Amino acid sequence: MKITTEHLQAVLGGSHILKGVSIEVSDKDFVGVIGPNGSGKSTLLKCIYRVLSPQGGAVYLDGKALQSYKPKESAKKMAVVAQHNYYNFDFSVQDVVLMGRAPHKKAMERDNADDYRIVRESLDQVNMGDFAQRSFSTLSGGEQQRVILARALAQQTECLVLDEPTNHLDIKYQLQLMDIVRSLQLTVISAVHDLNIAAMYCDKLFVLQNGQITAFGPPRQVLTREFIRRVYEVDAKLYTDPETGRLHILYESAGCGQLKIGGGSI
Amino acid sequence: MKQKSSDESGLIQSTPLYLLTTMILLAVLAVSVLIAVTFGTVKIPVSQVYQVIMHELFGAGSPDLGTGSVHDVIWLIRLPRLILAIAVGMGLSVCGVVMQAIVKNPLADPYILGVSSGASLGATVAIMLGVGAFLGAGSIGICAFVGAFGISLLVLLLSNVGGRSNSIKLLLAGMALSSVCSAFSSFVVYFANDKEGMQTLTYWLMGSLAGAKWQSLSFIFPIVLLSVLFFWTQYRSLNLMLLGDEVSITLGTDLHRRRQGYLLLTSLVIGFVVYASGMIGFVGLVVPHLVRMLFGTDHKKLLPLSALTGAIFLVWADVLCRVIIPNTELPIGILISMIGGPCFIFLMTHKKYGFGGGRS
Repeated sequence: MKITTEHLQAVLGGSHILKGVSIEVSDKDFVGVIGPNGSGKSTLLKCIYRVLSPQGGAVYLDGKALQSYKPKESAKKMAVVAQHNYYNFDFSVQDVVLMGRAPHKKAMERDNADDYRIVRESLDQVNMGDFAQRSFSTLSGGEQQRVILARALAQQTECLVLDEPTNHLDIKYQLQLMDIVRSLQLTVISAVHDLNIAAMYCDKLFVLQNGQITAFGPPRQVLTREFIRRVYEVDAKLYTDPETGRLHILYESAGCGQLKIGGGSI
Repeated sequence: MKQKSSDESGLIQSTPLYLLTTMILLAVLAVSVLIAVTFGTVKIPVSQVYQVIMHELFGAGSPDLGTGSVHDVIWLIRLPRLILAIAVGMGLSVCGVVMQAIVKNPLADPYILGVSSGASLGATVAIMLGVGAFLGAGSIGICAFVGAFGISLLVLLLSNVGGRSNSIKLLLAGMALSSVCSAFSSFVVYFANDKEGMQTLTYWLMGSLAGAKWQSLSFIFPIVLLSVLFFWTQYRSLNLMLLGDEVSITLGTDLHRRRQGYLLLTSLVIGFVVYASGMIGFVGLVVPHLVRMLFGTDHKKLLPLSALTGAIFLVWADVLCRVIIPNTELPIGILISMIGGPCFIFLMTHKKYGFGGGRS
């Protein structure tokens, strides 16, 4: 599935968050949106997944304007895993994932055996098959996000939008979640905080700065020393692992001049 | 609730269990009514009680059963009262469940959006100022209904001013209007300086099922029952409401209009409940939590189970009211708060149930 945005403009609380953002995501692409805090990553994604409506410009799914889809139709094309998933009521894991079937259901239709099968398969895909009857609120943060991912999978969409889903997760769970997403072979558009994660998983990066796209391309092309200094105001060394050929970013701590390895997102 | 991890079959296991429970509760409700109808201040032999009911329902037995004081006590006083208890119990519990979903707050009860203050104001002006006296004996109930329903409409309207309404705006609008109504009630009570009226008002506010009549039941019962069935079909949207507007948009449902619709319907149901029985607290708060504790938050199970539990609870509460103090009837509102309060505290402290705020 193809997602494009054209000159998206968004104004929130009087300030201009997006100033004409155009991006293009092709079928089966794993695309990352990076940029410092407040650059508009989340706003851009929220416009794409319909929580915000842009003041100008438009989002297109497969060439058709998003607004012309009914919420149910767009929810069959695009599923979302966002960062906050705190629920004020106890649901079982199964109940939560079953909600992913909602877009496929008519107003008074009941859940059938197919829905339960899809729920089971989705949970298996995220290795949470044994947790179906557990209460969602008793799970750890990493497990909860995997359940939310399973809910998104139960929607059976071609496209997945990730709005910084790995925030506040330990590194193990960050990698686990991204590994699962990568293995699904879907069209993915994800806001990413951590440049190392972005380098590891994304085919293509869009860089948002003050509400505008300032660079895009494959991670290796975008992520340079100068770029990181200019956008994130941090000195960094880039290093390619000779064994895996992977790109790693080593940050230099601003004050003490020590080398520090890792994402250090916040 | 269930801590055990389960194999694949566990996914469907819970469904028959809840259906079975629903059946059992239905049976318990039926039996409760049959037993409850034999209780009362007037001693009537059990066999005679059922003879009268069989006669009225199926025309069985001698025509004498259709007249006389025994007939009147059973058919015109006890039975309508039980049916009203069922309607009120169902209505309050289900509206409690729905209201908790609408405002996304486990502390909500059916009266939270100013309904109680609206109803009180209606009753106050009816009793103190004689408003609606031309309506006859039912004027207090009708004014309370108007107050309850009117304030719900106003809350809905107010929460939509300056952008779409959401659960926080609803709660705030409810609180604001509620305090305005209370102030006006107090104002009227203070200046009317009517001791007898105050007594009537206090008594009315305690709630009672004593006013049950077939005539009013003929519309209240169907309205409550149809609303319960309607909300049952809406279980998916009610589940989504707890996840919030943003998440449910990504799951293909725009909740805005549904929330308004549900709110109108609950207001209507609660309006009728108030009309028929005054203010009965705690049922709409405790019953949903009780059922949630045992069966989880999924509204598909929560709604029917709450409806039945609420109905059974109120049937027995009403029996207790009639028999607990010989020759005196205790207002049901008092009894329920006396039982309900400690029950609620027990739930809070004894069970691993976090009321949604996580568990200890």
